[in-house]
Amino acid sequence: MYIEYTENQKALRLRVREYMRERMTPALLEEKKNPDFFEGGGPEFRKQFAQMGKDGWISMSWPSELGGQDASALEQYIFTDEVMRSTFPYPFLTTEAIGPVLAEYANDEIREAVVKGILQGETVIAIGYSEPAAGTDLASLKTRAVRDGEDWVINGQKMWTSLANFADYIWLAARTDPDADKKHKGLTMFLVPTDIAGYSCNPVWTLGTRTNATFYEDVRLPDKYRVGEVNKGWQLITGQLNRERLSLVNHGMIEALYTETAGWAAATMDRDERPLLEQGWIQHNLARAKVGLEALRLMCLKQAWAIDQDQLGMAEASVAKVYGTEFFVEIYRLLLEVLGQAGTLKQDSQGAILKGKLEHRYRVGSILTFGGGANEVQRDIISAAGLSMPRGR
Amino acid sequence: MDFSYSEEQLEVRALARQILGDQTGNERQQQIDAQEIRFDEKLWQDLADAGLLGVALDSERGGMGFNFETLALLLEEVGRTVAAVPVIPALVTAALPLQRFGSEAQKHACLPGLANGKHLITAALIEPGNEDPARPYTGATAAGAGWVLSGSKHCVPYAQQAEQCLITAQAEDELLVFLLPLSSPGLTLKEQASTAGEPQYQLDLESVALGESVLIARGEQALELVQWMQQLTRAAIAAMATGLCDAMLRMTAEYTSQREQFGVPVATFQAVGHRAADCYIDIECLRLVSQEAVSLLSLGLDAEQATTIAKIWTGDVCHRVSQASQHLHGGTGVDRDYPLFRYCLMARQLELSVGSSARLLEQLGTDIAVSFTSSGLETID
Repeated sequence: MYIEYTENQKALRLRVREYMRERMTPALLEEKKNPDFFEGGGPEFRKQFAQMGKDGWISMSWPSELGGQDASALEQYIFTDEVMRSTFPYPFLTTEAIGPVLAEYANDEIREAVVKGILQGETVIAIGYSEPAAGTDLASLKTRAVRDGEDWVINGQKMWTSLANFADYIWLAARTDPDADKKHKGLTMFLVPTDIAGYSCNPVWTLGTRTNATFYEDVRLPDKYRVGEVNKGWQLITGQLNRERLSLVNHGMIEALYTETAGWAAATMDRDERPLLEQGWIQHNLARAKVGLEALRLMCLKQAWAIDQDQLGMAEASVAKVYGTEFFVEIYRLLLEVLGQAGTLKQDSQGAILKGKLEHRYRVGSILTFGGGANEVQRDIISAAGLSMPRGR
Repeated sequence: MDFSYSEEQLEVRALARQILGDQTGNERQQQIDAQEIRFDEKLWQDLADAGLLGVALDSERGGMGFNFETLALLLEEVGRTVAAVPVIPALVTAALPLQRFGSEAQKHACLPGLANGKHLITAALIEPGNEDPARPYTGATAAGAGWVLSGSKHCVPYAQQAEQCLITAQAEDELLVFLLPLSSPGLTLKEQASTAGEPQYQLDLESVALGESVLIARGEQALELVQWMQQLTRAAIAAMATGLCDAMLRMTAEYTSQREQFGVPVATFQAVGHRAADCYIDIECLRLVSQEAVSLLSLGLDAEQATTIAKIWTGDVCHRVSQASQHLHGGTGVDRDYPLFRYCLMARQLELSVGSSARLLEQLGTDIAVSFTSSGLETID
């Protein structure tokens, strides 16, 4: 057992850290203050994302037969972790979850256009899975695609379609066989260009950020935009879940917040002209944060290592999802308490601490405990797959 | 980056699992519980005969010459079976500092006998009202070429059964660590009854005369020894707790899968499954921080923070998994005819030994404050 990075891995980490620092230009920081562009999509984001494509970062983890560089899961984790630490609004789901699926299953013409666009940092894709009545029980989705000659006609509504306000395509799951014996068997995947007639997008303003509702009204989509076989969409949805989960939970971003908060407390004086960091309750909160953070760091590294060994168990992937997302919420609170009441001041407000980052993080943090597979479902998986406990129903 | 164990290590674990598994059934444990002293001497001898007591002892001392990480696998298996054997006090807290800091004569007198099961040693870390072995009340006064010791240690495991005990004493201007012969004139032992039934003793020293031949370390080196001894012991407890908690949870999963109420196994209720899943997550965290602490010590790298963090997780997870296991077993869990109670008692023992979560959180917080105050920035890893 050797739980340390190799010299090459350390060098990669530093290289990504330096590189991402250059991507986070003052213009991008300014642009992200616009809530429409917080998760990317503005002109400066487009410019920097394309630069990342040009410099070969986007294809790093892809298999070489799909035009990638065969990076290990561990190397990809190092990259992801540093990107998250930098707060660059990198569209991980486009590059890690959807891109490789398109490269493998899309029709030649689409692959040529879209996959190249993704690898060049020019194309962003939003995920159209959830619907008003289909969340955790995704397979019950109702959006319909009906074959009509060479086309499909799509009708329905998607919910929580994040990035749709600037995405080039929606990665859409639709029902193509309403009579299938099991509801997940009648689904097919499509790529819907966002400039197509009959498509529209409305903002949904959440606690922390903008997301969207997207509407499909007699959208006439040529069959070339179908990805994979008809009624075999479920496998494409579930096939990428492991790598997707690993980009959902990582330690770099919160470790950076921990470090900044402790640094702030060391540099800030209390009423008696002593550093706040000398206060016992602040030390206590930082210690609790550190204890949880260390477990998260090791868990993420072990997951990446296990993926490389082809040993990642089903229960373990769910353990990381539950522990990581719930610890995010916990550490935001621990660190906000250190900042005190001024921790509630928003970015750009007079008196905001650490640019209001924690005030914002706690508002976006809660979505991960139910997004990406509700934690209750993950706990069901853990007790069944990890402990062989029988399931109800 | 490598989270796997070597073939050799896996063989050691398999051997330990076999011997311990064969001899820790509920009936056997009940016989051991009924003994005056809760020490399974036959099992201890069998572990010795298989070479396992010497797993981390040098080969010239009759050991296998493996590292601490390999020994930790044995500790995890002892935790999994709550076997009544003094693996941590003898093989970790006493033997490893002795092996690193002791004289040839001291090592020769203790370690081969420890490996073959004929000679037991232990260590005294705490005193009444003082849990810091680097600042003992126990005093040593110089007398000729030796010292005279007075003071008390307590909760000393297996002191009656051992031949020697590592102890610290404060001389006028330096800390001393001795390999105290437990037959020394002026030394008396008083039995203490502890929650998990481990044999423990208060060790009173009244003008006990010791010569230079039993001094292991002094001054800076004594401080280094004590710090390392605590790190080793904390990591060892974390490893043992991992096996202990894992066994408790699996017992609970099995029980709730069979126990029926309202016509269905209670495990099918999500409230039950989710509480078990939370324990599973806790144990995964404990396993990871324990492996890191053990690995750093094995590699001879700085392990102060990692061992502190591992012990904090140990305290928290032992408490939570033990309580959840009790609760999900209903009345069966508290029945002494069913094996769970031994695990719960040992969980509390491990939780509170060599630093509770609260105390170590305070220590960690202080260290964090120092690292940010002195450098302005902690190393990011």
